Amino acid sequence: MKRSALDGSQQTNFIYLLPGLLFYAAFVFGPIVAALGLSLTSWDGLSMPKWVGLGNYADLFSDSRFYIALRNNAELMIFYCVLPLVLGITLAACVWNLKQREQLALRTFLFLPYIMPTAVLGIIWAWLYNPAFGPFNQFLRAVGLGALALPWLGDFNFVLPAVGIVATWYFFGFCMVIFLTGIQRIDPSLFDAAKVDGASGRKTFFWITLPLLLPEIRVVLLLTVIASIKSFDLIFTMTRGGPANATLVPNIYMYQLGFELNRFGAAAAIAIVGAILTFVINYAIHRLVGSQNKGRT
Amino acid sequence: MSRWSNIPAGTLFLRIVLWLLAFVTITPFLLLLLTSIKSKADVLQGAFALPAYPHFENYVDAWNAGHFNIYFWNSIIVVIPVVAASVFLGLLTGFAFAYLSFPFRRTLFAILTLGMMVPAEAFIIPLYYEMRYLGLINTYAALIVPQIAMSIPFSTIFLASAMQQLPEEVLEAAVLDGAGRFYILRKIVIPLMVPAMSTLALFLFIWTWNEFLIPFILVNDDAYRTLPLGMLFFQGRYTVNTPVLTAGAVIVIFPLIVTYLVFQRRFIAGLTAGATK
Repeated sequence: MKRSALDGSQQTNFIYLLPGLLFYAAFVFGPIVAALGLSLTSWDGLSMPKWVGLGNYADLFSDSRFYIALRNNAELMIFYCVLPLVLGITLAACVWNLKQREQLALRTFLFLPYIMPTAVLGIIWAWLYNPAFGPFNQFLRAVGLGALALPWLGDFNFVLPAVGIVATWYFFGFCMVIFLTGIQRIDPSLFDAAKVDGASGRKTFFWITLPLLLPEIRVVLLLTVIASIKSFDLIFTMTRGGPANATLVPNIYMYQLGFELNRFGAAAAIAIVGAILTFVINYAIHRLVGSQNKGRT
Repeated sequence: MSRWSNIPAGTLFLRIVLWLLAFVTITPFLLLLLTSIKSKADVLQGAFALPAYPHFENYVDAWNAGHFNIYFWNSIIVVIPVVAASVFLGLLTGFAFAYLSFPFRRTLFAILTLGMMVPAEAFIIPLYYEMRYLGLINTYAALIVPQIAMSIPFSTIFLASAMQQLPEEVLEAAVLDGAGRFYILRKIVIPLMVPAMSTLALFLFIWTWNEFLIPFILVNDDAYRTLPLGMLFFQGRYTVNTPVLTAGAVIVIFPLIVTYLVFQRRFIAGLTAGATK
C-alpha cells in the first residue's frame, strides 16, 4: 500500500532509511545487544569472556550494595520526579495568568539550569556546598542559622537530599514550561465557564487544569524517571557515590564495577537491570496516568 | 504604576514570590560570576561581598592553566559534525518514516525508539570495546560517531512528525509535475522544514556540548577532552583556588547562556514539540 504520493519501490525507499539505521545499528543498537550478552558472562576485559548465564544477576540480587543503590535511586526520585512535578504544575498555574512579557521573563530564568551540562552543575554545586568557603553555609551563618551550616556533601544523613535538591533545581523550570504549554492547549471556555459558575481558583485547578494536564504529567514523569535512573554526571561530580555509599546509585555502581574493578559482566548486568527498570516504570506510568487524549502517544 | 493598583493583593504577593523564586534559581550563576572576578583575598571576605575591583585575570589564568583553548576547540570540532550529520541523517530517515513504505516498519520504529529509552550508560562498555577494536579510542571519531548514532532516534522522530504536518497537496502537485523524490526533498520539503531543523539543531548542539559520559569513557588523552571534561579535571587541580575555578566554569557555560538567550523562544517551542511527541 502506498503511504503517500512520494512513496516508491521498496528497494529505492531503503536508500533513505539505510544510512541512519546503519549508524544507529553499529553504535547504539549493536552495543545494547552486546551489553545484554556481556551481562551473561564474567569478563575482566582481557581474557576470554566466561559464560555464567544469569550468575551476574543472581550475584546482584544478593549484593547489599546493589540494594543500597536501588534504595538511594528510589529516594532520589522524590527530588527528580515528584518535587519538580508538583512545583512545576503549581508554578505553571500561577505564571499562566501573568502578562506575556512577565511570563516570558520568569520562564527564561526558571528554565536556565536545564540547558547546562549536569557535570558542570555538579562541580558548581560542590563548591556552593563546600563546608569551609561555600556560599551556602556562609548564607546560613549570615542569617543566624549558623547551627545548620553542615558539611552537606560529607554528611551521611543530609547528602542525599543535598544532591537531590540540585536535581529539583535543574528540573522544575523545565516541568513548568511543559505544563504551561499544556495549559495553553486547554480550551479557554472551560475556565470561563468555571468562573461563571463561581468556582474558586483552587477548585478550577483541581477539577479542570489538573485532569486536562494528564498527558503532560505523563511526559514529565517519563522524562524525569528516565533521568533519575540514568543519573550519573551530577552525582559523580558531586560525591562519587559517597560518603559511605550514601549517594550510591546503580549507574555509579556500574562505573565502579566496570571501569575501576574490571568486572565488566557484572557492570553490564547493572546496566541491563537499569534499562529493564526504565521500561517497567514507563509502562506503569502509561497505564496509571491514563491516555485520555488519544491523539497523543 | 496605575496598573499595579488594579491588581489584587493576592496576585501582587504571588508575583513577588514568583520573582523571588526566579532570583533564587539563578543565584548560583550570579554567585559564580561574582566569584570569578574576585581575588583570592576577596573570597575570604565572604561569598556575597563585592571585590574592590574586578579581577579579569582569573579568566586568563583559567583559560591558560586549564587548557581551555584545547577544550573549547575540541567542543567545536565535535559539535559541528555531530549536529550536521544528525540533522542530515534524521532528514533521510525521517522522510522514510513520514512518507515511504518498507518492510518491518513498526519493528524498525520500535528498535529506534529503544535508543531513546536506553541510556548511554547501559551500552557504554560494549561501545568502549567496539571503539577500541576499531582503533578509535582517543580520536575525534570516538567523540563524534557515537553521538551521531545516539542522536538519530530523536532526529528521526522529531523530523518525521514535522514532515507529516506539511500540506500533502504541495507534495502531490510536485509529483504530478514529474519531479523526482530527491528533488522534492531538496527543493520543497527541506525549505519548509527549516524552522523544525533549526530547533532540532539547537537541541543537538546543547546535548552534544554538554555530553559527559562519552568523552569521559572514550577519551583519556587531554588533547581530545571537551569542555565539561576539562572542567572536571580542572576541578581536581583548582579546588582551593576558587576564583580561577569559577572563572573556568563561566567559560564553559557562557556559550550556552548566550545561545539560550538568543534562541530562547525556539528552545521552548522545540521543547514542547519534542517532549509531547
